Amino acid sequence: MSELLSDIALFGENIPWLEGIRSRGRNAFVMPTAKTEAWKYTKLHVLQRDDFVYAPSKFLEELEGCAEEECDCGCEHHHENEECTCGTHCHCAHRPKLYIDLPFDAYQIHFYNGKFMPLYPALPVGVEVMTLMQAVVEGEVQNYLGKYIDLQSYPFAALNTAMLEEGLFVKIDAGISLKKPLMFIYHTQTEQHLLSNIRNIFVAGKGANISVIEYYYHIGDDKDCYFNNIVNEFYLSPQANITHYKFQNEAFKAIHIALNYARVRENAFYKSFCLQKGADLGRNETKIDLLQEQAKSQVDAAYIMNGWATIDTTTDVAHLSPQTISDQLVKGVVGGQAKGVFQGKISIVKDAQATEGHQLHRALLLSDTAEIDVKPELEIYADDVKCSHGAACGEIDQDQLFYMRSRGIPEEEAKQMLIDAYLLEVINRIDNEQIREWILSNV
Amino acid sequence: MNTLLKIEDLCAQVAGKEIIKNFNLTINEGEVHAIMGPNGAGKSTLSYVLTGKPGYEVTSGHIWFKGKDLLKMSVEERSREGLFLIMQYPVEIPGVPVTSFLKHAVNAQRQYNGEPELDTMEFIKYLREEAKKLGIDNEMLKRPVNVGFSGGEKKRLEALQMTILKPSLAILDEADSGLDIDAIKVVSNGVNALRNEHRSLLIITHYQKLLTYIKPDFVHVFADGHIVKSGDQSLSEEIEQNGYAAYTREQ
Repeated sequence: MSELLSDIALFGENIPWLEGIRSRGRNAFVMPTAKTEAWKYTKLHVLQRDDFVYAPSKFLEELEGCAEEECDCGCEHHHENEECTCGTHCHCAHRPKLYIDLPFDAYQIHFYNGKFMPLYPALPVGVEVMTLMQAVVEGEVQNYLGKYIDLQSYPFAALNTAMLEEGLFVKIDAGISLKKPLMFIYHTQTEQHLLSNIRNIFVAGKGANISVIEYYYHIGDDKDCYFNNIVNEFYLSPQANITHYKFQNEAFKAIHIALNYARVRENAFYKSFCLQKGADLGRNETKIDLLQEQAKSQVDAAYIMNGWATIDTTTDVAHLSPQTISDQLVKGVVGGQAKGVFQGKISIVKDAQATEGHQLHRALLLSDTAEIDVKPELEIYADDVKCSHGAACGEIDQDQLFYMRSRGIPEEEAKQMLIDAYLLEVINRIDNEQIREWILSNV
Repeated sequence: MNTLLKIEDLCAQVAGKEIIKNFNLTINEGEVHAIMGPNGAGKSTLSYVLTGKPGYEVTSGHIWFKGKDLLKMSVEERSREGLFLIMQYPVEIPGVPVTSFLKHAVNAQRQYNGEPELDTMEFIKYLREEAKKLGIDNEMLKRPVNVGFSGGEKKRLEALQMTILKPSLAILDEADSGLDIDAIKVVSNGVNALRNEHRSLLIITHYQKLLTYIKPDFVHVFADGHIVKSGDQSLSEEIEQNGYAAYTREQ
């Protein structure tokens, strides 16, 4: 991995400020080992290979030079993302159609093999989306990018910082409410061991309100071994609302490591839901700083896996002000020889009185060889707080299974119904009905 | 008259303990049989052996259902062949709404019988009509199976399941336990409405009370793992008067 860092050529190497940040990333990056506390349950042996490639593949070069677009109906003038009169969407001849059909309306933004596809949806006034590098050049991100994330604590954020290039800067002006969600779709289709490194920054002005959906999936051979290293930063001004949904459905040999970092000011609310289902190693980590009174966060997650996968949900919610509120529900279903990891930390500083922090993790084990590792941590220095945490592990209830089978429902179908029902508790916490249905249909 | 169920010299055990011993019973199409016995005699064990609950092990004997070897069938096959158990303690299933539970059950049965699956709208319409007859409102159909249901609601849901699955043989295991008279009437009416010349009932009960609403053709006294006496309904009245003392080993 380190060799790769010295080999790559990145945009803007002549911008001292940017290079400064990258070099801090390079210096901080150390591959975690079994002795690294934050990674002790999630083994990184799948990363011990030296053939990851970062540079755009030949395929991508072709893509960049390609001005051809085609449509199933054979019409001529059209643009990706614009619906053609034939009802389909146009796409370049070298790659599959990016626009995907969903059961809900969304502003679709596409990344293909880790590269942003410059196809901007028509966004309403007050919402700005630009590439991270453009934002660097225009001086938009200097107050945010790399300013708050502790690179020593987050080695892959350090790696991400060392390779800063891809990603978007999204700014929502004060008072703007976006009716449709902004949907980031990460298509991966590669036979190479592609390392994609993406950094997105979301800045919500005072009272702004948006939903962001991240959808990771792959096209082609399920055995493709690629590595998506993602960092998202969310900045919530007072009274802002960001609802962040994520569905991780990478190829089953892929590696997916993400850090979501949110800074939440007075009366603002960062709410997230993540379903992890794919990848050989999937880690979704969330760090939240509740900075001012009535800052609120809800971090929910569901995971479901089989085979030999490891899926990790790690959270760290810091109550840095009095009267801050956090809540968290994580439910998982683990079968085969798979391993579920949950590490949840709530910390409350000395002066953060009248604060509430709740956390619950529950998992269903479907086999004797499945494994769950749970590490809840409460670090409370204030005395007027309401805090709770809980963790439970169980198996499918045999009486429920018998009852269903005695009504003629086949055993496998009954099990799936019980698994769906188990995850429903957390999925039902998604407010948007259409998105909830979409997530449910993917469990 | 065709034989529906034939149990021959059945022995069964739970956790290594023999509960059913040389049990014999034949039920023909259209007949209603009642098995009465003291608490702890193993009446419920019989219903679980018939439905194939894991943990209930048959050590010898045979059970023929419609001429087929019942013991070779899985739990779900027995149901689809037409065996239905109204359970003493219906199980709560959080997160699974009644409607979707029943739709899966009905479609599994239809698929088994080579019939096309019902579409959702068609099914809901049919379900609501049948539910109404049992005093089950649409709100209850949306709730998770048995979660937060009263004793009466649970049994009405059992009766509804029986109504839509149309079994050849329904086993009622202490169907009246925990019910007040009004609820017993509703459940009994539901069961009686399904009686016909091809459908049979096996009522397992401790008290005679239920048998005044669902009149049996045959009454059997179950003690020490098998039937010790058989008769008609007058036998149940005799037991109501004198208790089981005359039939238990401690006599």
